[in-house]
Amino acid sequence: MTFEPTGSAPEADFSSKTFLIVDDFQGMRTILRDILRSCGANAKNISTAGHGTEAINLLSSTRFDVVLCDFNLGEGKNGQQILEEAKVRQLVGPACAWIMVTAEKTADAVSGAAEFQPDTYLLKPITETILRQRLARIWAKKEAFTEIDRAVRAGNHAKAIALCDQRLAFDKANFTDLLRTKCDLLLASGDLARARQTYETVLASRQIPWAKVGVAKILLQTGDPAKARTLLEEVLRDNGAYLEAHDLLAKALQALGEFEAAGQALERAVRLSPNSVVRQKNFGEMALKLGQLDHAERAFRKSVTLGEHSVLKTPDAYLGLAKTCSAKESPEEALRVLGELGKRFDGETVQLQAMAVEGIVHHQSGNPEKAQQIAEELGRKLADGNTKTDSQGTLEVARLLLATGNKESAVALLQNEVQNSPDNAALLTEVKEIFTHAEMGEEGAQLVEASRAEAVEMMNRGVMLVRNGQHDEAIAAMRMAREAMPKNVRVLFNLVYVLIAKLQNGAGTLDDMLLAEARASLDAAQQLAPGEARHAQLSASLNALTRTAGA
Amino acid sequence: MMPHSTDDELPQVDITTFLASSAHDMKNSVSLLIRGLEQILATTDAQAFPGHQNLAQMTYEAKRINSNLIQLLTLYKVGQQIYPFDPQSVSLADFLHNVAAQNTELLRSQGVALECECPSDLYWELDEDLITGVISNAFTNAIHYTRDRVRLTAAEVDGKLELRIEDNGQGYPPRMLRESIDSMRGVDFQGGSTGLGLFFSATAARLHRHGGRGGEVKLENGGPLGGGCFILRLP
Repeated sequence: MTFEPTGSAPEADFSSKTFLIVDDFQGMRTILRDILRSCGANAKNISTAGHGTEAINLLSSTRFDVVLCDFNLGEGKNGQQILEEAKVRQLVGPACAWIMVTAEKTADAVSGAAEFQPDTYLLKPITETILRQRLARIWAKKEAFTEIDRAVRAGNHAKAIALCDQRLAFDKANFTDLLRTKCDLLLASGDLARARQTYETVLASRQIPWAKVGVAKILLQTGDPAKARTLLEEVLRDNGAYLEAHDLLAKALQALGEFEAAGQALERAVRLSPNSVVRQKNFGEMALKLGQLDHAERAFRKSVTLGEHSVLKTPDAYLGLAKTCSAKESPEEALRVLGELGKRFDGETVQLQAMAVEGIVHHQSGNPEKAQQIAEELGRKLADGNTKTDSQGTLEVARLLLATGNKESAVALLQNEVQNSPDNAALLTEVKEIFTHAEMGEEGAQLVEASRAEAVEMMNRGVMLVRNGQHDEAIAAMRMAREAMPKNVRVLFNLVYVLIAKLQNGAGTLDDMLLAEARASLDAAQQLAPGEARHAQLSASLNALTRTAGA
Repeated sequence: MMPHSTDDELPQVDITTFLASSAHDMKNSVSLLIRGLEQILATTDAQAFPGHQNLAQMTYEAKRINSNLIQLLTLYKVGQQIYPFDPQSVSLADFLHNVAAQNTELLRSQGVALECECPSDLYWELDEDLITGVISNAFTNAIHYTRDRVRLTAAEVDGKLELRIEDNGQGYPPRMLRESIDSMRGVDFQGGSTGLGLFFSATAARLHRHGGRGGEVKLENGGPLGGGCFILRLP
């Protein structure tokens, strides 16, 4: 094709769109406003904000079609933190074009967390031509993805994947993005086999980093960290700034028990992406585990500071900092940090963890009575089963119980935790470490293995019985398993699975009691582990069942 | 309280770190400079304001500094293995169109005619920022050294993407054609040629790898327009 080089690009319509400009310099706001106006934007549709808080207020009251946001905004939130908050609080939807304006390209810009990526980065200085070109491209892409986004928002992954396939057949312009989205959707819906197959197809024609990283992600999920490591190291050899590959490599190394190397991978990730609340926290935790207390303290403090303006702030950074301070023999500072934590986060789980760490601080600073008192109180709370906690909270309490000599209740807690997630390799490793730390390594390893094996056997019994056509026996077995392991997500899913199998088997009419039991179990699983892929699959089967029965 | 270091206790530092951080700092200043100049240009009338032509020239020079600094910083990051290399599927027709559109004003003021040729369904995996840097650089060079025509083409040749920028000027001096890109790191203060642009281009090309092969840059004279010819091949 020969084309008129100076002819205008497909003209995008700016006149009906709403714009938000976020920049701390008045002069820059004026320039951007002028650029937008000469692109055809209506002056009354352009809003401006000078800092993060103002931007968030405007975003809460108005739906903007385009946000032009400077990354570096001086004091307060930076551009990335505004974007994260806007996404988490759903102030912007998939239709909004978010353009991040930066002075230079950074690793975060190309391989940061996908869910918090802007639509594009523009390097300064911005010109009218470049802005027109980028927006035209973003709008064309958004249009191509309208239906797919709608299906995703409705929670219908299967439909979204089918829509991707439809478009892949003809849309060459968005071919790669469609393929990548399809893979993400397959991963999210738990269809690891098809996801892997799609990645491999991509890789057969070209060694594309995201596809390799995708395969590594699957290998990690299917318990093959060694192969994942090889792949990730390959990616990093060609592209040392691929952030996600560093993150995943650290996970693989951790699963392989190579903590020092994992720490180095996390350190590289933090160097590439120093402003990530979560990465600093992860690095801090690994450094603490390795006894690198100065590194740990620095990373946790950075995470806490960054978190001040971020929706992604995490109590784990405070807990880690308190533990680090305690290990550095500064109990007052540790307790002060825990006090700060209490002011910034509420929720039973966080309080419980904070108390457990407080107990450890007292234990380490030579105050055994106080530590014992807290340990006993927490032990009681967890034993009665009415206190809400998560796995990390439970492990924290178990550590304190072991440290204060409450061996029996600690072992009971840890066994229970293993049975609730017997296929979580990272958890099993951590539990074994806790035992080792308490000088019960061998005994602990046996306990973990026995609990795991028992849990797996109970989890699978139902599914095997269904295969033999023994539906009622299957349901009975899974109900027993639920009784024994109420927080085991896979037990809950398998119970739903055998219930659905029974319902599908029944001719025509549906048993309302079984249906209700299935729904309640699904809800319980969702509460324990939000966003699990199997939840989406089983809900879809359940919905299909009620539709065909006309219920 | 840390004691002050005396001269003989100065730690050994790598000068490149200072060069890089200064380049970064200068880039911010130059960005402000360009922004200010463009604002004045946009708000003044070329006929009424006698300095308009000078300002336009100053803006062009400031942009040249900016793109040099960007290339320096990129090379620094590649060397430190922290350059966020980001290959994506790019439509070459759109790509050439965008490069051309960003230089409309320059083409007009230099009285240079441009022809572009590219299959409309040609897509390639490339780092758009890097390759935009390479092609824009070669393109503005061509505009300055040509007589009155520049040709911008993209095509798939022997399984590689081939981007060509051709002009009808005098062509490259024989010395540049003889030397390989790698030995072209010497500084020629007199001629005003630092070799940076070519070294940057070769580095950017080499980052693109596929099937064990890397990209390459070639300079030739001749071609359909009879002048200089800059060729970028990506696997």
